[in-house]
Amino acid sequence: MISEELKKSLAERVAGAITPREATVDVMKELQAHYGWLTDEAVGEAASLLGLSPLQVEELATFYEMIYRRPVGKKVIHVCDSISCWCADCDGIIAHLKKRLGVELGGTTADGMYTLLPCACMGRCGDSPAMSVGGTPYGHLTPHLVDEILEKERRA
Amino acid sequence: MPKLIIDDIPVEVPPGTSVLEAARSVGITIPHFCYHPALAIAAACRLCAVKLLDGPVKGIQMSCSLPAQDGMVVSTTDPDALKMRSLVIEWLMLNHPHDCPVCDEGGECLLQDFTIAGGHSRRRYVGKKRTFQNQYLGERIHHEMNRCIECYRCVRFYQEYAGGTDFGVTGSAGRVYFGRFAEGALESPFSGNLVDICPTGVFTDKTGRFRARYWDYEFAPAVCQHCSVGCNTSPQNFQRELIKIVARRNDQVNGWFICDRGRFDKEYLNSPQRPRDPEIGGAPGEYRLALEAAANRISEFCLQNGAASLAFVGSGRLSLEGCLVLAELARVVGAPFCYFTESAAAQGSLAAVRLLNEQNAARVRDIEKAECIALFELDLMEEGAMLSLAIRKASLAGAQVFRVGGAREGEKHPLPFRYQEVATVDEVPFEGGSKGVVICGAGGKSPELLSYLASSGAKLVMLQPGPNAFGAALVSLERKGATLSDLVESGQIKAVVCFEADLPPWLLERVEVLACADWKRGGLTEKASVLLPTTTWVESNGTSINYEGRAQRFLRSRPAGLPLKGLDPKYYSSETEAVALHPPRVHRNYIPGGAEREAWRVMADLMLELGGEPVNEPLTGRWGKLRDLDPEGEGVRIYDLVSAQDLS
Ligand code: SF4
Ligand code: SF4
Ligand code: FES
Ligand code: FES
Repeated sequence: MISEELKKSLAERVAGAITPREATVDVMKELQAHYGWLTDEAVGEAASLLGLSPLQVEELATFYEMIYRRPVGKKVIHVCDSISCWCADCDGIIAHLKKRLGVELGGTTADGMYTLLPCACMGRCGDSPAMSVGGTPYGHLTPHLVDEILEKERRA
Repeated sequence: MPKLIIDDIPVEVPPGTSVLEAARSVGITIPHFCYHPALAIAAACRLCAVKLLDGPVKGIQMSCSLPAQDGMVVSTTDPDALKMRSLVIEWLMLNHPHDCPVCDEGGECLLQDFTIAGGHSRRRYVGKKRTFQNQYLGERIHHEMNRCIECYRCVRFYQEYAGGTDFGVTGSAGRVYFGRFAEGALESPFSGNLVDICPTGVFTDKTGRFRARYWDYEFAPAVCQHCSVGCNTSPQNFQRELIKIVARRNDQVNGWFICDRGRFDKEYLNSPQRPRDPEIGGAPGEYRLALEAAANRISEFCLQNGAASLAFVGSGRLSLEGCLVLAELARVVGAPFCYFTESAAAQGSLAAVRLLNEQNAARVRDIEKAECIALFELDLMEEGAMLSLAIRKASLAGAQVFRVGGAREGEKHPLPFRYQEVATVDEVPFEGGSKGVVICGAGGKSPELLSYLASSGAKLVMLQPGPNAFGAALVSLERKGATLSDLVESGQIKAVVCFEADLPPWLLERVEVLACADWKRGGLTEKASVLLPTTTWVESNGTSINYEGRAQRFLRSRPAGLPLKGLDPKYYSSETEAVALHPPRVHRNYIPGGAEREAWRVMADLMLELGGEPVNEPLTGRWGKLRDLDPEGEGVRIYDLVSAQDLS
């Protein structure tokens, strides 16, 4: 359930869009912030706010990798595995992340802090290998730097 | 008009034609999956590669999304193009399960055809295949996602073309999935078209799975007999059983598609309840004897009561042939005849046929191109579902759609386009009327109301209450038919002889039924002293005239008789022989249960018994022009066959 207040502000956002569909991403992000992930209930709420069917919201929700249709940790790590980062040994970084966090790709740490996801090019090829943690981008990663970032983000 | 050369053949095509379509126009089929003539271009599959040797663009191009331009020199057989196509098909096949032997699409599968045509015949990929969970999509369509090649045809049809919202595409990259938000029956009344449009076996018709292969089927061009739109279909029969119905293209009527009623509502054709053997006083007998008995009853009755107290009754379920011979039969006896049982329904049908002419009767193109459309007091999804897709096209192109008089009671499906509600037709802003269309149901409307609607100057769609009710009304006007309820209420009529007619209970109560010819059972067949079974459209040749006055020919696609599946053990030599699905090993010169005859032939046979002339050709007089109607053509509008005078 979302508050009347949130509902009202989302409805305003939708009303301000030229077509309701283009407001979908904004609505999904707000609902995701509210629930922690985009729950089935949230998909239903988004659909009725947008005048779409739940399936039509799902089409967009599952297309964007920053919309989570399953429960995730407090912060999500998106680690790039596209071509530039691959040249810069993202495989090593990913292996290190898995070991440090004790999870496979797609997994969430036992303390519920981090979820580890691979992602496509983030446009930070110049800083490869790259990742983002809870929305903050990091580049020129080394195993040592990764450890520091994880520590810092855990405390932040 | 762009002129180009394709494989050394000079081609000239209208601007906007794609290279793929230009090639097709000279008989060259370039392999393709995502391209479909009725859908928007997606250029998703990359299979339609050709090489441009000269002209404004050069090199490998996707022919489906490349507009033909002056000076292009195209090769569909260049080694680079061939290589590209064979690699594309190889990658499209990477994840495909190669399960053709257990796939119901096998034999009618575009993926099979174009895999071979594309030059991929040996699998090199040895990795793991991507797999999916299928969804339950209802009792009509089976889902097998692993076979998908991501051409996006299904979702483009379902959402864009048909306006459905509960099926679509989720995920991205290698996880693209075509399905619903959650399992459950597909909601669109056009969902069955997924079966036709998917180039592979992701969607197969659950109502006819695993029964036969394409080459086993008996086909013939047919016309849907569920409503007066008259969509073109191709019934697929196997051993006298209708297994599936698929859409058949007719750009003047239904385009490439049909509605789910036309596709799935078919059990009555195979039903064991269908009358197969003639009955005299409830006891089965030979057809010849039944005809004799019927003729005797008719003669006796006329002797005692006079021919004027007997009526021959048909309906909009009869073919045009049946309607015409019915009038002849009644003439032989000197009795009145009717195609309509109740005056309210009759009035509307007859008035519509009088009002419509070549100029004002809207064609489906007129609907698609209309700027302003008024839906007048009708349940469109029930009375003519396919027209809603033409209206949707108009609406997406900017037409305004108005609904007059609100929703009808019991509507099952929402309209797949946007519309505004208005209280009266006067509120609809037809400007000049040239691009306006009024759509209403004719049955039960008063002639004054229909004339008023016609006076708007808009083009008209007046849906009829039966697949050939237009034909029945035409013949009724031409041959001066009566309406049964009028005859009964005036006390004139005491008995009826019915041919594929439906009498409401109050009328049935007031008449004796001397004989009844029909392919289904009901109150009439119960009450009839002689029952003469007729064939359905699957076992008949005939002509029906749709709501816009378009005559269309349908052909018999299987012989009359009981389906082999479920055949009574009495037709086998022993109980042990009566095992499922093998024809009896007993020699016969007739088909079990195959005594039924086409309605017009039953009438003709009865005429002979009653001392009339033989009828060898039911389409006589002005209707003779329809004898050569091409069942695979677009049909013809009948307005130049009849004049206003004939119908007055
Ligand atoms: S399900 Fe069929 S129509 Fe839909 S994308 Fe896959 S192959 Fe194409
Ligand atoms: S719209 Fe009418 S004629 Fe066409 S398929 Fe449906 S029921 Fe049959
Ligand atoms: S490839 Fe990793 S950020 Fe571009
Ligand atoms: S048919 Fe041209 S890309 Fe699919």
